[in-house]
Amino acid sequence: MLFNKRTERIFFWVFFPLALLMPLFLADNTFFVSKLTSIMIFALFVMSLDYLVGRCGLITLGHAMFYGLGGYLFWMIAPEYEAVNFWVYTFYICMIAAGVALVIGFLVLRTSGIYMIMITLAFAQMAFYFFSDSIDFGGTDGLFIYVKPETSIFGLSFFDLDNPTHFYYLCLLSLFNTLVFFRVLIRSRFGRVVDAIHENPGRTTALGYNIFIFRLMSYVIASALGAYAGYLFTLQYGFVNPSMLAWTTSGSALVMSILGGMGSIYGAILGTFVYEGLHYVLEHLTEHWMLFMGALIITMVMVFKNGIAGYLEKLLEKRA
Amino acid sequence: MNTQVSLDLQVMLETQGLCKYWGGLKALDDLSLQFFDKQLHGIVGPNGAGKSTLLNLLCGHYKPTRGSILHKGEAIESIKPWAFARRGIGRSFQKTNIYPGATCLENCCVAVQRRMGGNFNFLRSRYTQKVLDEIATEALEKVGLGARRDVVASRISYGEQRQLEIAMVLATAPEVLLLDEPMAGMGHEESQLIIELLKKLRREYCIVLVEHDMDAVFELSDQLTVMVDGQHLTTGSVDQVRDDPRVKEAYLGQGDEVF
Repeated sequence: MLFNKRTERIFFWVFFPLALLMPLFLADNTFFVSKLTSIMIFALFVMSLDYLVGRCGLITLGHAMFYGLGGYLFWMIAPEYEAVNFWVYTFYICMIAAGVALVIGFLVLRTSGIYMIMITLAFAQMAFYFFSDSIDFGGTDGLFIYVKPETSIFGLSFFDLDNPTHFYYLCLLSLFNTLVFFRVLIRSRFGRVVDAIHENPGRTTALGYNIFIFRLMSYVIASALGAYAGYLFTLQYGFVNPSMLAWTTSGSALVMSILGGMGSIYGAILGTFVYEGLHYVLEHLTEHWMLFMGALIITMVMVFKNGIAGYLEKLLEKRA
Repeated sequence: MNTQVSLDLQVMLETQGLCKYWGGLKALDDLSLQFFDKQLHGIVGPNGAGKSTLLNLLCGHYKPTRGSILHKGEAIESIKPWAFARRGIGRSFQKTNIYPGATCLENCCVAVQRRMGGNFNFLRSRYTQKVLDEIATEALEKVGLGARRDVVASRISYGEQRQLEIAMVLATAPEVLLLDEPMAGMGHEESQLIIELLKKLRREYCIVLVEHDMDAVFELSDQLTVMVDGQHLTTGSVDQVRDDPRVKEAYLGQGDEVF
């Protein structure tokens, strides 16, 4: 079974149908649709981080580097005034990001724990200052994307990226695919080794596994998906900006992952929606929203020991 | 000293002038030993004698400062730690080292899967592969944990966890078993279980057993090595070692100093 927990199945059957129907009720409220779209894009990014941190035990503070890279890569490789094919460029961007992750992962994964946090942060900061200080990449202002890609497959076009509702569905589809992809990955033989390495790396080495290779592959996969999320972000707003690469982006993604329930994958969606929802509500209530936000997050992390997903599981799995 | 061992026994593992220094501390100094196939080689010695260091060197966890380790005549001291297990050198640890959150079956499946391939198969479910389950179950049954197959490893008793650890090593289809105090912290009855198990296994594998329980070691060993302060003291049959005056001195002499 793809989802081995009841909570996960319930979440799946509640979230996706609801998300699927949402634009029907909000057809004229484009602000709300695009707000939900951006949350889903970030949820995809948080999910890729959740796999690394919660499933592989590789704690990184540099994941935003790939988020930003996804955006900058598109600007770099796509012609400025010509619509390219969305699917082809998705492939290009994921492949290039994977290549970059392979090189960086090769260096970063030689360390672990607190040292890995530091070295991933160092790489991310290098990328941040490279893009924010270079005039060619628009400095701190970032860059505009003038022409959005078209999405035809064999001449058939299903999405118009300029249409917020279409873009919403594209992001929902991406989020759905990513969730299913990670579930399949975790359930596979590869996933078994990844779980084993997370629980007891020493024992796994003693059983004859070269754990470095498994970690590197996980890092590459998660990074490529992180870049894909950044690419979607860029397409939604039509610009890239160094703040995408900032360590605070990694930081808030990490908070969302912890809030949602680390390692649960679907918790990433829960965490991102709760975090962004609170953000939205508090922002409109008070100017000092960050203060209350902080307090709320601390409380939630303390009350829900394994995140929101863990809490829901405790409620729902008892009877099962 | 090994001349009394009949010559038809194959040398499985051999150390030549093996040394491990931690700074100025000689944890293991110039050790040359031979371990034979289908024999149980006991290693005893007071605390700090270098027994665990030896096992950590033999399984590739540490790199030797000097000297070499030969597996079937090939020098292997410079290969990667995980490559030791692939050559059929499996070990259990002094401190229980399992996957506590997974079922006993899953624990063994991880061990089996390494040599069955498909470790980089991202798509196929790990649960639909019967061959793997069968081999893993076989390993569990061999150590007497067949009934615990689907129980989460953290929920079984300490003694059973030690058995599970041996099952995991067996599931890797090893030639050499390096067992680091498999009876540590066990009650008499549980120890007895392990002793019975080792009696079954010792004619199938090359076993290196480090153990504090003297009675058990005397009962099980074909060959016995005594180590003191990182040095090799003597190697021989159980009777030879038991009657060696140096061995008595090593154990009792230390006792004098303590009191």
